[in-house]
Amino acid sequence: MNATTTNGSTPLRRFAVHATTTCATHAEAYGKCILATYTDVRKDACKEEFAKFGACLREAVSCDY
Amino acid sequence: MNRLTRIPVLARARNFASHSGSPLSSPNTVGPYQVFDRYAKRLQKDRSARRDDGEKSRTTDYVRDEVADRMMDRLLDIKRKFNTILDLGSGPGHLSKLLDAEITKKVVMLDSSEKLLHREPDSEFEVDVERIHADEERLLDVVAPNSQEAILSCLSLHWINDLPGVLVQIKEALQPDGVFIGAMFGGDTLFELRTSLQLAQLEREGGISPHVSPMTDTRDVSNLLGRAGFALLTVDVDEVRVAYPSMFELMEDLRDMGENNTIVGRRNFVHRDTLAAASAIYKALHGNEDGSVPATFQIIWMIGWKPAPNQPKPLERGSGKTNLKDVL
Repeated sequence: MNATTTNGSTPLRRFAVHATTTCATHAEAYGKCILATYTDVRKDACKEEFAKFGACLREAVSCDY
Repeated sequence: MNRLTRIPVLARARNFASHSGSPLSSPNTVGPYQVFDRYAKRLQKDRSARRDDGEKSRTTDYVRDEVADRMMDRLLDIKRKFNTILDLGSGPGHLSKLLDAEITKKVVMLDSSEKLLHREPDSEFEVDVERIHADEERLLDVVAPNSQEAILSCLSLHWINDLPGVLVQIKEALQPDGVFIGAMFGGDTLFELRTSLQLAQLEREGGISPHVSPMTDTRDVSNLLGRAGFALLTVDVDEVRVAYPSMFELMEDLRDMGENNTIVGRRNFVHRDTLAAASAIYKALHGNEDGSVPATFQIIWMIGWKPAPNQPKPLERGSGKTNLKDVL
């Protein structure tokens, strides 16, 4: 309801911005992978997609400081 | 073959199983009705009411205000003027605020969170207000049996551990021919969040821990009301759907509503990787076309009356004289 993620005032909010905006393409790729396998999900089923997503997040978070 | 060998194993396991009604010995072994940590819930609610001097709590009133509004419709169907109404689990008084002198002279608000109970000043209410800070699960400790004309409960019963017991207490507290109207979250409430977190945990961590409460099923509610001894039952379901920019805003708003996870033995921590994964899954699985994500709040409505001799009763089964075939 309230667009709080736009003002990144807490670490979690900054993280939220990165997870939904900065790394949106990687998030979408990961989401699509889960969507394709969600009837039979096991650990690391989308490992590769998440590795890229995670790398993007770490990169974005480190740029905050 | 597999099936046959499993039976003796199960039978043996039963011998060693501890009695489920045993008193609390450790945080993870609890009685049959202990699902939620009520102490933690009270702290969460108190904190939510204090955040930004109550402003956060006020901006996240939208679900409760909507449901309180719908409950007023149901209350107005009852052509009766009350002297007092008990608002059980009132919070800051979403419902009590809507009551006017046409309906009742006075409202008694009862909630386990003192901060939330006193969030709004008396001037916000149109009728006289009395506030009781007490545990909703121990209603009869503060309210005398056969004393209430009407008990309303708007979105608080979903944190009750012993729902059958509380319904019995509500019935006991009512005067004969008194009415109980309740609304509680149940059924498919927050199923999007539940499934996204579960899938993310499963794929990232390889296991799951509950983050969304178990919900009461609609079918169970009519049985519970009947078992508690209410008459003339009405149970129905309706939904409030809210769109959020992403899962993070939903979780933040839930926290500000004081609706965080309080399952006994919960894990207080969600790994950042899992959160990011859940947000991506939420959007992929449930997202709206405009890029927002929906959250479903399913509300179970219940109306029950305490039996009284002069109350209209359903006729005996099989005593109908008119064949429905002739009418239709």
